[in-house]
Amino acid sequence: MPNIENRVDGSEESTDGGRVIGEESNVVLRATGLAKTYDSPLPFTQSVEVLDGAGLELRAGEIVGIVGENGSGKSTLMKLLVGALDPDAGSVQASGRVGWCPQDPLLYDRLTVAETMRLFGRAYGMDDDSIDEALDRLAEQLDFERFRDYRIDRLSGGNRQKVNLAVALLHDPDVLLLDEPYTGFDWETYLAFWELTDELRERGTAIAIISHFVSERERFDRIYELADGQLSEVTENDIDDAGTTTSASPENDPTTEVARDA
Amino acid sequence: MPEVARRERFTLGLTTSLKEFLRQPLQVVLLLALPPLVVEAYGQAMASFPALPFMGSMPATLGRINGAVFAAAFLAGLVGLFQVIAAVEADERLELAGFGRLELFARRLGTVLVVSLLAAGTSLAALLWQVDVAAPLAAYGALALAAGLYGLLGMLIGVALPRELEGSLVLVFLADSDDVLASGLANIDAPLTDLTPLHYPHAIFSAAVTDGSVASGDVTGGLAYLAVLGVAALAVYSVSLGQGGVLS
Repeated sequence: MPNIENRVDGSEESTDGGRVIGEESNVVLRATGLAKTYDSPLPFTQSVEVLDGAGLELRAGEIVGIVGENGSGKSTLMKLLVGALDPDAGSVQASGRVGWCPQDPLLYDRLTVAETMRLFGRAYGMDDDSIDEALDRLAEQLDFERFRDYRIDRLSGGNRQKVNLAVALLHDPDVLLLDEPYTGFDWETYLAFWELTDELRERGTAIAIISHFVSERERFDRIYELADGQLSEVTENDIDDAGTTTSASPENDPTTEVARDA
Repeated sequence: MPEVARRERFTLGLTTSLKEFLRQPLQVVLLLALPPLVVEAYGQAMASFPALPFMGSMPATLGRINGAVFAAAFLAGLVGLFQVIAAVEADERLELAGFGRLELFARRLGTVLVVSLLAAGTSLAALLWQVDVAAPLAAYGALALAAGLYGLLGMLIGVALPRELEGSLVLVFLADSDDVLASGLANIDAPLTDLTPLHYPHAIFSAAVTDGSVASGDVTGGLAYLAVLGVAALAVYSVSLGQGGVLS
């Protein structure tokens, strides 16, 4: 499996054959025909077809929402986009550095926040000064400065999520893939998150945000809905007054998103 | 990436992995307390047994030998298991961030090997308290081999069965039955018993404790076993990293 650092080289070349992707239309990530079925060799277990020909494009400087019901395959899609899972069919092409914020914070519980950042920073190929600089900036923006020496397992869920997001942002990625990034955030952090994403968008970062539903349509440039294993672009007409798509209704999904609580 | 940076990164990975282990007080306490308890309990339990011809040592000594091998193997196995279960998903994220798969495996393996050496040391120390060991260095090597083998087995179990309770149960039954079979205590004369992971370490350890001899065939066999399990653990761990951290 290629890693984020190696699958992209910043020269607008994809990993599968070195083709340039979407230079004219600024496409920095393109997924085509993604299919994924979970099979198990164990008896009495069902195969689950999650994706069946899903495709999308991300362009530099845009924020794209991906919505879908619980179990529709959003997180699987994200794992395929980032390379954490291999698709059964289809391909993903990306250019530039990719940052990934998984839904569950995939962090080392017994390391401190600062140790976590150093470890991931080194993985991204950063030197100590760059790591310190990025950590200072992110800790201030996301308000977790006072927790730098806390172990991950001693943090609240919201603070853990901040660190989870900070790990994805540490190396200043060109493509940012966020899976339910603001779950557990308080209102101030939620607003800080959107400020940060707006800053990143202005600098040309392409951002994809997966969510159960979209509460503030205007924050997104485009929205995809994942249903029946396929992605389709949602138009204004598909969104109801509550800001949700017709199938991804919050009534069916009592989400914990702070925007709904606020 | 320059070699120096790569080496620094690997060192950072290994030290953070060791920190993670040391920050689990229960495992550290087990490492210190389990060997003396097990060695003495096995010795006391066997003390009332008659000295049968096939035993080769006095029953109490044989019990303590078995206890030392079990303690070293089980402790290292437990650490190998928890190293994988607790961290394979975060390892996958670290791989996506830029760490090599081999580098990540070496990081986990390095921690397991360090703990194996410690477990062998505490187990041997517990044995030395009651038993005169003819060749302590060879005995230590044998225990380290037993611990290394079970550290790798623990990693394998952790990937195949990534649940702490079930994995620990499999490990304890495996280590216990393996210990009994490899020691010859069950007096089962079947070629299959020669294939158990603790067969060679037990043979080396028993000889080192009782008469100080070391059979080169046993050492070669044990090291070959270690190499095979090492390759298997690397393969299974690598596959699991491409599957979201589990084999399915």
